[in-house]
Amino acid sequence: MVALSLIPLLYLLIRAGEKPVAEIAGLLFRAKTFEVIATTSLLVVMVILLTGFFGVLIAAGLHFLELPNKAWLIIPAVLPLAIPSYVFTYTWIAFVPAFTGFFAAVFILFLTTLPYVTLACLAGLSRVDASQIEVARSLGFSYPKTFFKVVLPQIRTHLSGGLLLAGLYTMSDFGAVSLLNVDTLTVTIQNMYRASYDRTAAAVISLVLITLSAIFVVADERVRRRQQKGEVIKSTSIKSALIEKNSYKVSTVLLITTYALLAVLIPIYVLLSRFFTNTVEISWQQLLQASLSTVSVALLGAGIALVLSIPLGILLSERSTTFSRVSSRVILIGHALPGVVIGLALVSFGSKLGPLYQSTFLLAFAYALLFLAKSVASMRASLKQVPTGAKEVAATLGLNKWLVLKNVVTPIAAPGIALGAVLVFLTAMKELPATLMLRPTGFETLATQIWSYAAINRFNEAAPYALILIVIAAIPTFVLSRPDRSDRGSFNSGLGN
Amino acid sequence: MLRNSLKGNNLLVMSKVLRLGLLSALVLSLTTGCSSNSADSDQVSELTIYSGRSENFISPFLTQWSEQTGIKLNIRYGDSAELAAQILEEGSNSPADLFLAQDAGSLGAVAEEELFTPLAKEVASLIPDQFNHADRLWVGVTARARVFAYDPKKITTLPKSISDLTKPIYKNQIGIAPTNASFQAFLTAVIENKGQAYAKSWLSGLTANGVKIYPKNSAIVEAIDKGEISLGLVNHYYTWEVAQALGRSINVVNGYFTAGDLGNLINVSGVGVLNSSNKKQAAIDLINFLTSIEIQGEFVEQTHEYSLISSVVAPEDLLALDKIGAPAIDLGSLKNIRATQDLLIEVGLL
Repeated sequence: MVALSLIPLLYLLIRAGEKPVAEIAGLLFRAKTFEVIATTSLLVVMVILLTGFFGVLIAAGLHFLELPNKAWLIIPAVLPLAIPSYVFTYTWIAFVPAFTGFFAAVFILFLTTLPYVTLACLAGLSRVDASQIEVARSLGFSYPKTFFKVVLPQIRTHLSGGLLLAGLYTMSDFGAVSLLNVDTLTVTIQNMYRASYDRTAAAVISLVLITLSAIFVVADERVRRRQQKGEVIKSTSIKSALIEKNSYKVSTVLLITTYALLAVLIPIYVLLSRFFTNTVEISWQQLLQASLSTVSVALLGAGIALVLSIPLGILLSERSTTFSRVSSRVILIGHALPGVVIGLALVSFGSKLGPLYQSTFLLAFAYALLFLAKSVASMRASLKQVPTGAKEVAATLGLNKWLVLKNVVTPIAAPGIALGAVLVFLTAMKELPATLMLRPTGFETLATQIWSYAAINRFNEAAPYALILIVIAAIPTFVLSRPDRSDRGSFNSGLGN
Repeated sequence: MLRNSLKGNNLLVMSKVLRLGLLSALVLSLTTGCSSNSADSDQVSELTIYSGRSENFISPFLTQWSEQTGIKLNIRYGDSAELAAQILEEGSNSPADLFLAQDAGSLGAVAEEELFTPLAKEVASLIPDQFNHADRLWVGVTARARVFAYDPKKITTLPKSISDLTKPIYKNQIGIAPTNASFQAFLTAVIENKGQAYAKSWLSGLTANGVKIYPKNSAIVEAIDKGEISLGLVNHYYTWEVAQALGRSINVVNGYFTAGDLGNLINVSGVGVLNSSNKKQAAIDLINFLTSIEIQGEFVEQTHEYSLISSVVAPEDLLALDKIGAPAIDLGSLKNIRATQDLLIEVGLL
């Protein structure tokens, strides 16, 4: 599995190796490269700060407050995960034609990545020790003080995991930054293909991107290791009492509504208004075909990611060896690569595979590879929740390793594992660059249809496809956030760590 | 013992999901027929096309040919440059028989790696040589002209040359899209013909004149329509395309600079046949179809692009191609735009 996730890296090293060392050095040390690294880093930092701040606020509000119909609040907070960043960008440009530049990109990527952080924080909060909160309150700590002193330190690793995913996504994004004219590493990579068809130079810059993402991955590991010392993971956490404070409730609802307005309603409004000002006949057959294609290949991708991540998740949750540390880094770092690079890497290897090339299976496999990190991250977190004691008891009762896995570990970890699969499913549905290269010829997904209409400004014709994509994405989101589940929904026990 | 029913359900759902995904993918791979036929040239049953041209514009013509010949077409739509990169990666393993691209640059990249087969004089014989690759590794299909789109109520003195755009009468009124490939091809022509120094001072002059930056051509046209700016540098068909997309007429018309000015550059979309194809004859038939007088006429009508054949009438409301006064530029020279991008970066427009 780790070897498979090494394909893109291997490809990049082969391509970069075709260039003379002097040229590589010239490329790396020109002023432009430093500027682009600076822009990319600044963009990532800004997005992380914003998503961190608002993600924590929203998650805390959803977790601690007595709010009516929580599921209906969680959905808009999570749904934008399924909206491609280029759809955000196109619709915002249609809304405000002069919408461009660095801060516009920060804004769009903030909208796109906020759900990662919100979800991770929700997962962390569900495991916060309520007794500590009560102690703090009884000592006369205010709510905010209790939150900063008691709660925040406990969810630090989850927060860091969510920020990592948001940061890596920001690094890999091309749709938003290219349309908004912000020069990041992915834009430079793409420009090298477009401007000079220079694949070797693009490979060199991709390696720079990988290095940058490695720094973030290692930083996240640091945070996690610090926390693990002396941390006691509760197998059952006592639910803290819900807070009844109207000012908090109003601001939380306001915050989520504003987010929903910016990230869901305005894009939908633009799509609908474009559709209704210039109505076209919808080809239902095409729409249905694209929906089925999208759902099936994304499901298959999620399934493959699930299968691939089970052994990895177990390995990573059991003990920390050099091998497991290196593997998790490799998987996460791959997350920062733009889809074009992964796509071309798989084209390079896949075109030698005969009939397998440009098959639905290879496309699903590409999705699994692209989004493995999401699945492994949530699986690892939930496998860690399985108390070692339970496994030992089961073993002394004579169950062999597989039966322990089947009867003890899997049931406890299932919600988190399911969340991982859903995250892969949601992001695979909107994936574009690798889909364009690897889908079977003539096979259209919702994302490729949206792209092909939006590319010629036919938002009116793209609208039905975008709306269907949002509706399909809402279904698993809704199922997972139903509050009547035993543990307040699977979202709370999965992602993070 | 630790199993509880809810969590057991979750697992059940997961395995169902997996099975469902596998099943539907199996069905799909059967129905979409991803296996390619290795028939020889006299009994071709299908042809694979990589198309950088939008589905909306090109598919009616391709369907028409497919119905006429009974040859099934597998068409892969994508971005021209990315499809070119994909073909370069696939090399001799490419499943594509034909590559249709938006611009000469993408075709040039594939031609340079010797992945195209040279086309005989009889192929696309009506297309004038100036619009084809010098060794006929690809041929032109349609033309797009660079123009200035403007609001006729606000712009009363029309610019005669791109150099007029730096004059104070156009202050804060002009829009450009520096990331756009067509703009960069135009700027490359400026650098090649008037030199780096001129191009740099022209761009700086535009910046000093308060030029506004847009992400793409259509955004410029929409901004003129909304009154944010009054004039912008775009390809000729965007005024038509935006009006079509909005479903109404807009306050924007096309204008041309004086004959010979670089602002009137003409670029082409084109097509080449892959060396690795074993269905070259069928591919050539399709090229001849696309470059026939009849289909070129329909192209003009439906996509609002120019035909490269002078006897085909220009799109409605547009100056005929040979009346535009396009500068004499070798399109092959516009392939490498790295110097252009470096310049745009230097003056702060990229």
